[in-house]
Amino acid sequence: MRRRVTNPAGEPPVRMYHVSKSYMAGQYALHDVSLEVRRGEFVFLTGASGAGKTTLLELIFAATEPSEGQILVLGRNVARLGAGAVPALRRRVGVVFQDFKLLDDRTVEENVRLALDVIGTPRREARTRVFQLLKSVGLQHRRFHHPKSLSGGEQQRVALARALVNEPEILLADEPTGNLDPELTIEIMDLIMAAAMRGTTVIVATHDHSLIERYGKRMLRLENGRIAEDQPAATAGIGSGA
Amino acid sequence: MSRVLVLVRVMFANALRGVRQASTTSLLAVFTIAVVLVLVGSASLLVANMTGILDDFGAELQLTAYLDGDLPAAELPELAERVAGAPGVASVEVVTKEEALERFERIAGGGALLEGLEENPLPASLEIELRPDARTAESLATLRAALADLPGIEELAHGEEWIEGYTRAVALIRGVAWGLGLVLGLAALLIVANTVRLAFYARRDELDILALVGASRTFVRVPFLLEGTLQGMLGGLLALLIVFGGYELLLPQLRYGLELLVGRAELSFFTWSESFSLVASGAGLGLLGAMTALAGWRGES
Repeated sequence: MRRRVTNPAGEPPVRMYHVSKSYMAGQYALHDVSLEVRRGEFVFLTGASGAGKTTLLELIFAATEPSEGQILVLGRNVARLGAGAVPALRRRVGVVFQDFKLLDDRTVEENVRLALDVIGTPRREARTRVFQLLKSVGLQHRRFHHPKSLSGGEQQRVALARALVNEPEILLADEPTGNLDPELTIEIMDLIMAAAMRGTTVIVATHDHSLIERYGKRMLRLENGRIAEDQPAATAGIGSGA
Repeated sequence: MSRVLVLVRVMFANALRGVRQASTTSLLAVFTIAVVLVLVGSASLLVANMTGILDDFGAELQLTAYLDGDLPAAELPELAERVAGAPGVASVEVVTKEEALERFERIAGGGALLEGLEENPLPASLEIELRPDARTAESLATLRAALADLPGIEELAHGEEWIEGYTRAVALIRGVAWGLGLVLGLAALLIVANTVRLAFYARRDELDILALVGASRTFVRVPFLLEGTLQGMLGGLLALLIVFGGYELLLPQLRYGLELLVGRAELSFFTWSESFSLVASGAGLGLLGAMTALAGWRGES
């Protein structure tokens, strides 16, 4: 598979230095967070609701700016990113949400192709890549269906295919299995894990501790906007090595 | 195909998809623009026709300078030339004593009335047509002052009342047209902007998702602006059809009414360029509405 690496070799794709985010004066969604995520690393982000998981992910894909501190994503300083540079960064960061964020009036193929359309990928090339991606998530036979006719697990696989079709260097997933039953949860997590195995840096926000235990990856626990625990990856576990 | 061409094709396809889907909100936008433009179009048509009728009246407004009976006929052309050079005069027609008599006989069957008179009692005259910009009471006063000094003019027929009535009517029609235009234009902009904003909110998810996968602001905005323009154009076309239908339907009654009132009924519909302007106004309104709706969207979620 093609891989685009444009930030200096060895430089961690995500670095945060004393980052705080406040939506109201005196109230912090994130407070003085510093961290580094290495290339190809898989990180679970956990914590209670309101602990700051979503805010941390939003800062990484430039949906919001830090109130204090610096964030470097793929070598770019998010705080100083102009409006014109945000799309370019987002093309290198795939994002998956709990509510899938699919367009109901478009087919599965068109939903996945969105990420290629926005960069002007020729139709034939786009179709081939979408087909390959859908095949890898086991949905090639559903490519002309609309999202509403798919199960929750299938919809999340479509969202994952859309996030990965551009071969992003970073994959962010915000409670990607929050709406799924345990069996589908493992199915989706295995697909995300497969992306990590191919070298994509992955950060998954979840409050499902069974997943953290099952995969044994690095775990960052947030509490009231601060990092309360940074537990390294276990030496053994499913997909260990990333 | 280069990436830029692919992007342009996708942006157009997205705009057409938006219109084709004809969701309730986009249909609402088309109909709103149509309704607003039917009002604006009807008002413009009415004002244009009323102004046309007034202009026709204006062209017929003229002053008559009755000449001294002692003025030799040979001096008439020179006097006419001097009057033609006076301020506000568009043209001057000389009516000799003989022509005046002919007219009198023709109009009033005056042959019998004038029988027994040895001499033609009707004076020669100059019929003075005014330039459109000089059809005001002030201009008329200036002209009267200029003509008063000319030898050979005995009397200037009064035209002030006519002129004042005409001036007032034109000012009223123009004032109403401006007022209507301003109020309807502002209302149109507000209504259309809000309707398009509704359509925008209905599709906000789509725009947010596009931004999420790295679409540039241009990629997101251009199809939406095109869609607004296209909706506006459709609204404009619909309005043109409705106004034309109404005009054709009401034309016989309007003609009859006008003939009764003012003795003439020369009405006309929009010219091609005016029709095009109405459709273009729709397109412009749609575009402005879409721009207003997009103004608050930053595409950062």
